[in-house]
Amino acid sequence: MDNREAKFVLNAYRPGGQDASDPRFADALEQARRDPVLEHWFNESIEFDTAMTGKLCAIAVPPDLRENILAGAKVSRPLRWSKPFVNWAIAAALISMAILGSLIWQETRPRHLAGWQNEALGVISSLVRQESSFDAQSHDAGELLAWLRANHAPAAEKLPPNLGRLESLGCRTFSWRGQPISVICFMRADGGLIHLVCTKAVDGEREDVPRFVQQGEWATATWRSGEMTYMLAFEGQTDQLRSYVL
Amino acid sequence: MSTDHFQQLVDQQYALLYRFALSLAKSEADAADLTQQTFFLWASKGDQLRDRSEARSWLFTTSYREFLGRRRHEVRFPKVELDDVREQEMSISPNVNVFDSTTVLQALRNVEELFRAPLTLFYLEQFSYQEIADILEVPIGTVMSRLSRGKA
Repeated sequence: MDNREAKFVLNAYRPGGQDASDPRFADALEQARRDPVLEHWFNESIEFDTAMTGKLCAIAVPPDLRENILAGAKVSRPLRWSKPFVNWAIAAALISMAILGSLIWQETRPRHLAGWQNEALGVISSLVRQESSFDAQSHDAGELLAWLRANHAPAAEKLPPNLGRLESLGCRTFSWRGQPISVICFMRADGGLIHLVCTKAVDGEREDVPRFVQQGEWATATWRSGEMTYMLAFEGQTDQLRSYVL
Repeated sequence: MSTDHFQQLVDQQYALLYRFALSLAKSEADAADLTQQTFFLWASKGDQLRDRSEARSWLFTTSYREFLGRRRHEVRFPKVELDDVREQEMSISPNVNVFDSTTVLQALRNVEELFRAPLTLFYLEQFSYQEIADILEVPIGTVMSRLSRGKA
């Protein structure tokens, strides 16, 4: 180690002697002991650093600083919430998120019909085009419901009010993948047709609020009530369906 | 962290921290504000520090980071300072020895900023080169180099 290297290292040597046993300084200190010129520089350096330290440590601290720190920290410190309260808050937040997620899912899920619904629209189209016929015919919807129950076919527990006022034409039953389904066709006031499809609800299915789907020329509304799932369908726009559902 | 522990830490470190801040900041008011802000941060985040023996290094590191952050902000949004005369008029208790210390402080402030922080930490005598390296988040060799060049 030459003097230049030794000076480089000794510049970091604290004047209070705290670094005396630090092995990183050992070689440089040894060099200073051997070389009078370096030793002289080192002693002057220590003297200068000691004076600098003394002056710096003599800088007055604002008399109110300590009290300001203590007072300020007291009001800055975050509130320590009790653990039960935090747990309840977390639980409430999770429930809120679950509800919000469910609502978002309701709004953003794919707007398409299930397999049984497409099958029902096919059966209805066939009836409308007179390619197939009703299993039972009556202008009284009550009679059709009674016929369906008697034949162990799905039957509405209660018709939507506006639909119950319409004149019925007939009903038909079919199955989709072993699932029994029934259709009752009604005559609307304007002469058009409207069809109520009914099947047993699948466990876990939650459709209390009608879900409107436009599929081609067919407007549909699907909802669950009690043990049954319903689909109302007619050729038109979904907006026109709302009055029959509500 | 209990109030007692916090107060103990303040008593041990606030003067040193203020002097360090004073070498970095433009005025006593800025230095005091920087010191207070550092302790406020400790009050709210200090619990996250697992090893309490590192509290002192944490304070100085935080103070330095806070200073750098403020300086970056001032570069982007320069502010108008009260002049020095006004500052002195507002001083409550002038120190009789202030002249010598002020001269030293002024000398330190004339040192390029890059070297000023390690020099101040060194002259405060509390910090080894290793601790300075930790506080400034630079390698030991860089600390030694900056001390050497700062003293020159």
